[in-house]
Amino acid sequence: MPRVSDVDTIAPDDQITSTPTPSPVKKSVTLKKDKKVTKTPEVVTSLPTTPNTNPLVESVYKILGHTRHPFSSTLIHPHVFDFQERDDDEIVLVVARQHWFTNVRWILISLFMVLFPSLFRFVPTLLEIPGTYLFVGYLFWYLITFAFAFESFLSWYFNVYIITSKRVIDIDFNNLLTKKYSEATIDAIQDVTSTVIGAIPTVFNYGNVLIQTASEVNELEFGRVANPEKIIKVLQEVRDQYKGGQI
Amino acid sequence: MFPQINTYMLLVQKFSFVLGSILYLLFAFIVVKQTTMMSKNVSDKFNTVLITFAYLHAAFAIFLVFLTLTIL
Repeated sequence: MPRVSDVDTIAPDDQITSTPTPSPVKKSVTLKKDKKVTKTPEVVTSLPTTPNTNPLVESVYKILGHTRHPFSSTLIHPHVFDFQERDDDEIVLVVARQHWFTNVRWILISLFMVLFPSLFRFVPTLLEIPGTYLFVGYLFWYLITFAFAFESFLSWYFNVYIITSKRVIDIDFNNLLTKKYSEATIDAIQDVTSTVIGAIPTVFNYGNVLIQTASEVNELEFGRVANPEKIIKVLQEVRDQYKGGQI
Repeated sequence: MFPQINTYMLLVQKFSFVLGSILYLLFAFIVVKQTTMMSKNVSDKFNTVLITFAYLHAAFAIFLVFLTLTIL
């Protein structure tokens, strides 16, 4: 009786069902891949509406570049930034603060206040004060120093000038509990002027941008912002695209 | 007579320190209120850090009041 060559691999009693099953699995895998391939074109078609490929955002990037660091005085299309009055479909293009050099004054004052208690050793009468009073006095002085520096930083950090796809906004916190909010729509902007006055502003290139509008708020002023000429270019670009119906 | 004047002067000093620390505590609470209000109006990355600093500042102000009442 001739020996079947494949008797060890396939026994006569075994039901050979293995061969059909692999092919459907393979087919399903390829189908899934095809499905994945077909999904990406849908994603591609949705990309133009995302901010990354928004032509207005791209033109702002071309004018101002990209944000260097979170404490920069100009944030270009920040991803983590919001304000209460923003509309859902409104894109924040530029967030400007006063130039960093405007903080030098309060930083120097704070440093002087930190070092001031070390001058007490040159005043002998002060050394006769009881130690507990001196300790509490030092603590009080350093708390005041921290409060002064913190308030100055908050004033710089939260007084922002915002350019969005629809409006120009000025948010000011004048003192401890006063907020001033001014806005003007892009189509209401009539005239934009920038001024750079003084030696230090000229060296560091910061100045004022005055925006005259046809709205109830006659003018908005971006005070001591970096690169005022580029801010004007951004406003012109936004206005052109707004008038062109691209926004 | 002079020791009594000295005692009165120390009392006046202590009262001034306590009053000053309480007023400063009120100021610290206003700073906390101001920081939270600013953070609500303008949301940014470092809002949490700034609010934390404001609360720490208020905590130190409370500690200052406690110190003026106990140590002085």
